[in-house]
Amino acid sequence: MGWLTSALFLGWSLGANDAANIFGTAVASRMVRFRTAAIITTIFVILGGVIVGPLGVERIGKLGAIDSISGAFTAALAAALTVMWMTRLNLPVSTTQAIVGSALSWSYFAGKSVAWAKLIPIVIAWVASPLLCAVASIVLYYLIAFILKHVKTHMLVLDAYLRYGLIAVGSYGAWALGGNNMGNVVGVFNGSGIFNDTVILGIPFSEARLLSVLGALGISVGVITYSYGVMITVGGDLVKLDSMTAFIAIASEALVLDIFGYLGIPVSSSQALVGAVLGVGLIRGGNTIKLKVLGRIVLGWIATPVIAAVVCLVALYVVKNVFEQEVVKEYGIAPKVSLQTSR
Amino acid sequence: MNSDQRLSRMFEKKKNQSFFFKKQYEIEEKIHHFLRCMEDMGLLYQEAFFSYFSQQADQFQDQVKELGAIEKKMDELGRQIQISLFAQSLMPDSREDILWLLNSLDQIPSLFKHSLRDIQIEKPVVPETLHDLFRQMLTKTGLTISKLVQATDALFADLRSVRLLTEEVSRHESEVDKVELRLLQAVFDQEDLELVRKYQIKRLIQYIGSISNTAEDVSDAILIFAIKRAM
Repeated sequence: MGWLTSALFLGWSLGANDAANIFGTAVASRMVRFRTAAIITTIFVILGGVIVGPLGVERIGKLGAIDSISGAFTAALAAALTVMWMTRLNLPVSTTQAIVGSALSWSYFAGKSVAWAKLIPIVIAWVASPLLCAVASIVLYYLIAFILKHVKTHMLVLDAYLRYGLIAVGSYGAWALGGNNMGNVVGVFNGSGIFNDTVILGIPFSEARLLSVLGALGISVGVITYSYGVMITVGGDLVKLDSMTAFIAIASEALVLDIFGYLGIPVSSSQALVGAVLGVGLIRGGNTIKLKVLGRIVLGWIATPVIAAVVCLVALYVVKNVFEQEVVKEYGIAPKVSLQTSR
Repeated sequence: MNSDQRLSRMFEKKKNQSFFFKKQYEIEEKIHHFLRCMEDMGLLYQEAFFSYFSQQADQFQDQVKELGAIEKKMDELGRQIQISLFAQSLMPDSREDILWLLNSLDQIPSLFKHSLRDIQIEKPVVPETLHDLFRQMLTKTGLTISKLVQATDALFADLRSVRLLTEEVSRHESEVDKVELRLLQAVFDQEDLELVRKYQIKRLIQYIGSISNTAEDVSDAILIFAIKRAM
C-alpha cells in the first residue's frame, strides 16, 4: 500500500490546484464559505471519481500497461514532481499531460511499444477540450441571452439564480473533476496487481474502482487542506470577469470534463476553463483573447509530457539501480536505455 | 392605510409567496421605500419653490423642514440597504452596482436640500416675470426625477424596460437644459436687476439644472447595469 503514496500525492496536488477552477469564483467573492465549497467538492469528487473515474483509470492503465507496482509508483511520483516543479516555476502544467509523459516514458524504459490507439484519442482530447469548452460557452452564452431577452428579469433575483447556479455548476464541476481525473491520479497503477477485484456490501469493486476510491480521497484531502489559497488567487482573477461569464465558463468546463470523463479520456480542467473564458471573450470582443495565454496552453501540451518523461526516465533508472526495485516485470523489445538498465 | 403601509403589505405578500428569494425582496422593499421618499422629495421641492414665489413664508419653512425629515429617513434607509447588501451574500458585481446606485441617487436629495437652504438663507428676489420659466424648469426636473425613479424600479421588475425609461430621463433632461438656457437669458435680460442679484438667481438656476444632470448620469449607469445583465 505504501507504493500508492505517490498517487495520493498526485491526487492531493490535483485537489489543491484544480478545485479553484470550479469553486474559485464563489469562494473568492465570499458568496460561498470555503468550508461549504470544500464539503460539496469532496462529496461530488468522490461520487464522480468512484462512478465515472474507473473508465479513465482503465485507459491510462492500458496506455502505459505498467506491470510492476514500483514502476507505477515511480511514474506517478515523476508526474507529481513535474507538476510541483513546473507549478513552482509558474509554468503551464497539467496533471494529465504529466502522467501521460510518465506512462510513455515507462513504456520506453520497458522496451514496450506505445499504445497508439489509447494515446491518440488522449492527445486529440487535449486540443479538443479547450476548443469544445469555447464552443460550449458560446452556445450557453447565446442560450442565456435568448432567455433573458424573453423573460422579465429582476436584478436581485437574477443575482440569486446566478448564486444558486454557481453552486450547482460547482457541484457538477466537482463530479466531473472526480470522474475525469482518476485516470491521471491512479491510472498507472491499474493492472499492477495492487488490488484484487472484490465485492463490498454486495457491490462489485474492480481494481480500477478501488484505485478510484483512493484517488478520490487523495483529491479530497488536497481540496480540504490546500485549495483555499489557490481559490482566492484563481477565483480573484475570475471574479474580474462578471458573475455571468464565470457561471458560463464553469458550466462549460464541467460539461466538457464530464463528457471526456465518460469517454474515459482525462483532460486538463485548467485548460478547459481557459477555453471557456476565451469563448465568452470571443463574443464580447476579441481583445480579451491573449495570444500569450493560447501560447502557454500549447507549450503545456508539449513541454509537460516531455519534462515528465525525462523525470520519469531518470527516476526509473534510480529506483531500479539505486533502490534495486523491480520497475518492470516483463521487458519488451528493449531500446538502448532499457537494455543498459536491465543488465 | 398610507402608501408606506401599502408597500410594506405588498412586499410581505411577495416574501411569503417566495421560498427562495425572501432576502432579495427584503432588499428590494427597502430600495422601493428609498425611491418613494425620493419621489416625495421631488414633489415637495417643487411645492416649496412655488410657496416661496407666492410669498407663503411659513408654508415654505414647513416644506423645507419636511424635506429635511424625508432626507433623514432616506439616510437611514440607505444605511439599512448597505447593511443588507453586505449581510446577504450577493454576487460582488451586484453588490457594487447597487452600492454605486445608492450613493449616486443620494446626491439628488442633497441637491434639493442645498438649493432650498440657499433660498432660506439668501432670500433671493426673483422677479415675477421669471416665475413661469422657473415653474417650467421645476416641472420638467420633477418629470426627470420621476422617470429616473421608474427606471430604477425597472431594475427590480423588468430589466428589458430600463432602456425606454432611461431614454425618457434623457429626453426630459434635455428639455430642462433648454428651459435653463431660456431662463438664464431672461435673467440677464432684466434691466432693473442688479448684477449681483442676477448671479444669485443664476446660481439657483444652475442648482436646479444640476439635479436633472445628476439624474441623467445615474440613469446612464442604470442602463449599463441592465445591459450587463441582459448580456
